[in-house]
Amino acid sequence: MKATVVGAGGLGGPLALALAAAGVELVIVDPDVVEVSNLHRQIHFTAADLGEAKATTLAARVARAGGRAKGYRLRWVAEDGDDLSGDSDLVVDGSDDPETKFAVSDWAVARGKPYVIAAAVQFGGNVLVGAPGTACYRCLFEEPVAAATCAAAGVLGPVVGAIGGLAAALALAVAHGGAHGNLGTLYVFDDLRASPDPRVVRFSPRAGCSACAQRKAS
Amino acid sequence: MATIRVPGALRLLTANQADVEVEAATVRAALAALDQRYPGIAGKILDGEAVKPFIRIYVGADDITALQGLDTPVTARDEIAIIPAIAGGR
Repeated sequence: MKATVVGAGGLGGPLALALAAAGVELVIVDPDVVEVSNLHRQIHFTAADLGEAKATTLAARVARAGGRAKGYRLRWVAEDGDDLSGDSDLVVDGSDDPETKFAVSDWAVARGKPYVIAAAVQFGGNVLVGAPGTACYRCLFEEPVAAATCAAAGVLGPVVGAIGGLAAALALAVAHGGAHGNLGTLYVFDDLRASPDPRVVRFSPRAGCSACAQRKAS
Repeated sequence: MATIRVPGALRLLTANQADVEVEAATVRAALAALDQRYPGIAGKILDGEAVKPFIRIYVGADDITALQGLDTPVTARDEIAIIPAIAGGR
């Protein structure tokens, strides 16, 4: 089993460590370096990692834990998708960038691969599970504009661990064909300080979704 | 009164209120009432007469796009959830 983890930050860290510990070989992709402002939530990094590339540093952390991972200091874009993720069985997004989330979803839909999109901001987050034949991220949110990000709104450190852990569990389920009840579902955690219970949003394919239309045409 | 569930990303505009009760017969009227109480918030949710493309609105368990859109009726027992796309986590 092989997976691409897009983003090596607050979500990508727990995702990568959990998936690798479950025996999943990883490709980890992230363009950034570790900054001091990351350390309160990206607890897979230490002060000794400051200035180092997140992707390769996380891959090394996975390897020290006994897992298999390659890190690439790149922004994941659709043009590189086949090279980076063509042999992955699924793609898991924990990036901080709306454009990347849509690119991952669109590419996965086009290639018929399952995927998980995770996000966390302030005190909550959401996780979407997608697979061939189900409604996709673009069916739900249509286009990448003005989404709230950590950069603008901040995030409580433990929130990314909780959301990343759930995303890893759902990724393992979808990779092993055990996520049928979760496909085409968005789990919304409004404020984990107030309640750990998600709002479960089940949605249907949207007429006019360009990603789904392209998939059908190919 | 119907209850509007305000997402975290918009609570700076509602003095941190997560739930806002409004007297309204439709989703459109509910959002107008919300905007009357917290001026400017409707502009974060609507683009003219349409819901912004990165926001979904649910009445109970149903997406209003599968109902009557902004004209979807609401009752005093209904919960109106505003669900925006978020992208944090880096």
